[in-house]
Parts: sequence; C-alpha cells; structure tokens
Amino acid sequence: MIRKSGLLVFLALLAAVFALVYLFAGFALRLGMVYTLEKAAGAEVNIEKVGVSLAPLALNIRGLQITDKDQPTHNSVSFAKAQAALELWPALLGYYVVQDLSLEGLEFGSERRRPGKVYRGENADAEEQIDLSDVLRLDIPNADELLARVDLQSKEKGEALRKLMAQQKEQLSGLKNKLPEKEKLDTIQAQIKALTESKIENAADLATKAEQLKTLQDSLRQEREKVRQVKEELSQMRTGLEQSVANVRAAGEADWRRLQELANIRDGGLAPLSEILLGDFWGKKISQLETFYRLIKPYIPAEGGKGAEEEVEEKPVLPNRILPLPRQPYPDFLVRNAQLQWLVAGGEASVRLQNITAQHAIINAPTTFSVDVEKLPRLATFSLNGDFAVREKMTTNVQWKMQGLVFDEFALGSGDNRLQLAQGLLASDGSLNLVDRLVDQQATLLLQKPEFRAAGNRYMGQLAELLNRQAEIPLQIKAAGQLSEPDVSVRSSLDKVIGDALLGEAREKLAAVETRLRQQLDATLKEQLGDESALLASLNRQGTEVDDVDGQIENMLNAKLQDVTSGAKDRLKDALLKRGKDD
Amino acid sequence: MLTLLAKILKVLNSEDSPWQIGWAVGFGVLAGLLPFGLLTLVILLIVCFFTINLSTFLLVWGVCGGLMLIFGEPLEAMTWQYAQNPAFLELLASTESLQLLHFHHTLVLGAFLLGLFLLLPLTWLGAFLVIQYRRRFMTQMRKWKVVQMLKASKLVQIYEKLS
Repeated sequence: MIRKSGLLVFLALLAAVFALVYLFAGFALRLGMVYTLEKAAGAEVNIEKVGVSLAPLALNIRGLQITDKDQPTHNSVSFAKAQAALELWPALLGYYVVQDLSLEGLEFGSERRRPGKVYRGENADAEEQIDLSDVLRLDIPNADELLARVDLQSKEKGEALRKLMAQQKEQLSGLKNKLPEKEKLDTIQAQIKALTESKIENAADLATKAEQLKTLQDSLRQEREKVRQVKEELSQMRTGLEQSVANVRAAGEADWRRLQELANIRDGGLAPLSEILLGDFWGKKISQLETFYRLIKPYIPAEGGKGAEEEVEEKPVLPNRILPLPRQPYPDFLVRNAQLQWLVAGGEASVRLQNITAQHAIINAPTTFSVDVEKLPRLATFSLNGDFAVREKMTTNVQWKMQGLVFDEFALGSGDNRLQLAQGLLASDGSLNLVDRLVDQQATLLLQKPEFRAAGNRYMGQLAELLNRQAEIPLQIKAAGQLSEPDVSVRSSLDKVIGDALLGEAREKLAAVETRLRQQLDATLKEQLGDESALLASLNRQGTEVDDVDGQIENMLNAKLQDVTSGAKDRLKDALLKRGKDD
Repeated sequence: MLTLLAKILKVLNSEDSPWQIGWAVGFGVLAGLLPFGLLTLVILLIVCFFTINLSTFLLVWGVCGGLMLIFGEPLEAMTWQYAQNPAFLELLASTESLQLLHFHHTLVLGAFLLGLFLLLPLTWLGAFLVIQYRRRFMTQMRKWKVVQMLKASKLVQIYEKLS
C-alpha cells in the first residue's frame, strides 16, 4: 500500500513545480500584466522584464511603459524599475502583504523611442475637461444674477406662509359655524329674563324655577365651552400667522445679508473680483477630486464604506474571495512601505507612502503619504503630506506648502474681457479634509510679481494696470460641502483696493446694482407676504366678535342668576319677617 | 488524443488493482477542483506515498482542472452564500492552520468540500467500473482493430517503452 519511493517522487514533483515557477513565472506574469494593462489602457504596453525571486519572495519589474492613447509618441506612465518584496507567511495565508515597494524613474508623459500602438479611440470625456476661458468671467454681476446665485430662504418661508394663510382662511370660515347661533342665545336670554322677572310664589315655585334656570345655565355653559374653543383656536391661528410672518421677514433680512456679502456691497467695494475670477474655477478643481474618489471607490471594502448613500452590493465577479472573518490577521492587500522616485518637470520628486490598504481598521493606522519636490526649473519647493483612512467613513487629510511656481502665460476670460497673466510666481499653502464626499478646504495663494496684460475694454486696461502695481496678490480660498458641488469662497484684500481704485461708472453701476437688488428683494418679500395683514385683521375682527359673545354668555350666567337668587332670598326674608311680626 | 486513449487503455489493462485506480480518480477530482496551493501539495504527497495510480491521478486532475473554469464561478458564489455562519467564521479566524490551507478563501473551501464529498463515491465508482471492464470488456476490446492499430502506432510503442 505504501510506495517506498513516494517521498522521492513527491520531492521531485515539488522541485519541478518550483523550477517551473522560477523559470516561467516571470514570463507568465509579464504576459498577464501586458494583457491586463493593455486592456485597461487601450494602448500598447511594454515591459522589459518581470522576474520572481523565491528567497526573499519578491517581484521585480523592469522598464514598464504604458502608451498614452491620446498621444502615442509619449507614455502616459512609465518607470525604470519596480520591486515588491512580499512577506511569506501572510502570502501563505492568502494575504498580499508587501513589506517594501520601490519604484524608480516614475514618469508621466515621457517620450517613447517609437510610437506605441493604440487599441482604443478617443475616450476622454469632454465634460470633464475644463475650459478656463468659459469658466472665468470678468464683469460686474447684475442683480438678477446675484439673486439667482443665492438660494433665497425668504421664498421658501413665503411659500410656507402662503400655505398657512390658505389653510387659516378655510379654518376661519369653519370657525364661524362653531359659534353659538344668535337666535339661540337670544331665546335663552329671553327665557332667563322671563324667569328672573317672574314672581316666586313659594318654595316649590323657587325650586322649579331654579331647576329651569339650572337647565338654561347648563345649556349656556355648553355654548360658552364652544366659544372658548373658538377663542383658543383663533389665538393659535394668530400666533402661527405672526410667527410665520416673522420667519419670512427674518429670512428676507438673512437673504439681504447674504446678497450683500456676495456682492461685497457692505464694504462699499466692487463685486468680489477674486471670487468671480477664481470661484467657479476652484470649485471645479475641487470637484475633480470626485474622479479620485470614484477611482478608489471599488477598492474600498463594503463594510468600510457603509454610507447613507445608494450602496448596492455588487455581484461576485472574480471567484475566490476571502470570507468576512470576524478577525483578520492582515488586510487583503497591504503595502507597508513604498518609495517612489518620480521624474517630473526636469527634476525629481520623492514620494513616500506607508500602510497602503483599504482596510485601515485591521492595522489600526491610516495610510500616510508625503511628497517632496525641490529645485525644479520652474518650482522652488513643494511639499505635501497627509493621511487617508477607510473606517466608518473615508477620511483624507492633506496639507501642502509650495513656493516659487513659475507661471506659463495664462489667460483669464476671453474676448473684450481677456486678461493675460504674462508672468508671475505663485506660492501656496493650505489644507484639505475630505470625509467621504464632504470637502472642507482652506488655502492661501500668493501671486508674486504679477504682470498682467489686457486687451479690449478700458476697464480691463485699468484693472491690469492696477494689478501690475501690486507686489503680491493674496487670495484666501475656502471650499466646503459636497465634493461634486463645493461651495467655494474666494476672498482677497485686493477686492477692496480694486473697488476703491476703479472710479466713476463702475461705482455708479455698483450703486445701481445695490438699489435694484434691494428693490427686487423687497418686491419678492411683499409678494411672499401677500394679504397677510388682511387675514390678521379678519382674525382680530373674529376675535372681538367671539369676545363679545363670550361676555354676553358670562353676563347671562352670572348677573341674571344672582338676581334670581337674591330676589328669592329677599322675598323669603320678607315673608319670614312678616310671619314674625304676625306672631 | 491517441496517446490519451492509449494511456487510458494501458491503465485499465494494467496489473494495478482497481482500488488503486479508483483512489486515483477520487484524488484526481479533488486535486482538480482545488486551485493550486498547499492543499494540492498535501494531496500530491498522499498520492505519492500510497500506491495510487499516478497516471490516472494526473489525467483526472488535468480534466477536472479544466472543468473548474466552467463551474468555478457558481461554486464560489454558492460557497460565499452558505459559508457566512458566524461560528464557522469564528473557527476560521481563530485557527491559523485552516487559513494556511486557505479555507477562508471561498473557492478553496467550496472545491474542497465538494471534492471531499465526491471522494468516496467516485473512488468506489472508479474501482467498480475498472472491475466491470476487466471482467466483461477487456478481452473483447483487445481484439478490436482500433485498439490493435493504436497499439501498433509508433507513438504508443514509444510511450510503452518509456513507461
């Protein structure tokens, strides 16, 4: 039953397997990588050599080039050498833990020795490309534009008020029906009068009349209860209406403040030029991070990225998944250290990353990254660092600092509004916090030694002249909100300077904008408030009527009843006194 | 194709016991279902240690490996669905040796359980069919012209010499 040479056969087979892996794995991996990357990139991919070493377990890739399908004479990405050293024990358990990953000579857009083949056509999404000339505008916004840019709260509140008023009008007509009928009250009043003015003959008569009076009294109390309910409802309606009107007025004031802020009217300056120049541009730049989010989203494990959003569990595509163990010794994929040497713009950038994974809860540490660039021909220094973690939410923090970025010629606006930034240096520092798709970013930009040229209208000429006189142009940029549609605010002390410097017509135009804006807002407010005062007057009128009825009932309940009893008492007293005298 | 047929006939006509061939079928299916890994090496070690017919084992392993390209995905999906038992997942998490054998990987787990489930029935079936073949058809088949032609072919003669 036992084969004596069994162990020998097994070892021979094992050795054959290892030999095969050692000899052909590199070749097979190279084929696989080329096939997969070409499929993804849609253009020729070249890999000089892929090698696998068994001790230590490592993958070496030399000379990878991915052709840029839009420009086949260049590569989209290329690198000279990459090495990934895998940890053996996690690999035996089925987890890919890379101890060290190094990438040398990483380049984006390097020239190829010969053009690469392109397998797929133009795929670039035109919507994702930003056309600066379309985005940037250089004009004073008019009142309509500003009103359109502000989401007027008073409109919403006004709508609520209108609904409330319609409802109250309907309720008011119903209330009238709830009040006691006048004829009924008159009848009761007549009956009470008849009772109180009638003579009481004896004790039995008194008891009978008192009983009749009590019945009328009970009936009156029921009517009074109805009146009080109506009074209560009227009071509530009045309070509701007053509150709603107050809300509309407060919203109108808030809208006005926001409009003033947006148009920079409060400071007597020009419309915020910096925001007009850069607001939308920066917003779009921020929203480009959405692309980054979409790129990494598939690699985020479902349990980590549970959000309130449309998470649909994807059907299994690739066989052999790791079961969701309650505890996992390693993430499915982890690179402990990665070092990239990035050849960029005639110099080098050093990129360092730690703990690259999408399952940060398992290692209890975030992915950290830092980029350092120094002494490039067109950039003095640039450093960026941050961290990234996927836990309950995906959180990214980035800080950057940049000095001495030399501008290429850069056009803002087009046609008559064209403003050309001929030269200048840019410095910037800032931070960005991204939680899922919510962005909160603050940045300071300093444009140094700018030289602007303007063609076209004389305002632009004045503006260029003024800007050229500035040694530095500071900008504070804040962006917050949804990544796809951030609320961007750009402020600069220059706005005030420009506002003060630009004379005459511009100021008049600004004043006209302010007046028109106030008029339009007031008109909107008036329209929202509608016939609120008429309704309030009718509520007050109704309230007075109800008070009268209530008073009438109260009088009937109190005064007349007291008369009856006191009259009866007097008569009884007289009768008793008379009987005493007789005795 | 001819060598494959010759190989099958040679094994069937060999002096190996039907159970040796039966076990080779059973283990061949088990190894074929599994993705290559440590478990495959364990199975290979068993096959090498015991007098299990190696030719049959390798043949069945290859055939079943091909079948998994078709049935792998539904088997994986089914395993993912049924393996979400908290106690079982806890056992996997706390036993590293089970993870070493990749039982926390759906396809390995599914294929291993299916292979294990099929091991004894297939072994018995394999042995039974070999016995039946030897009893009823072997003598007659040897007389078939196709078989004689095959035996006479150079390729088969070389193969027989080598083995």
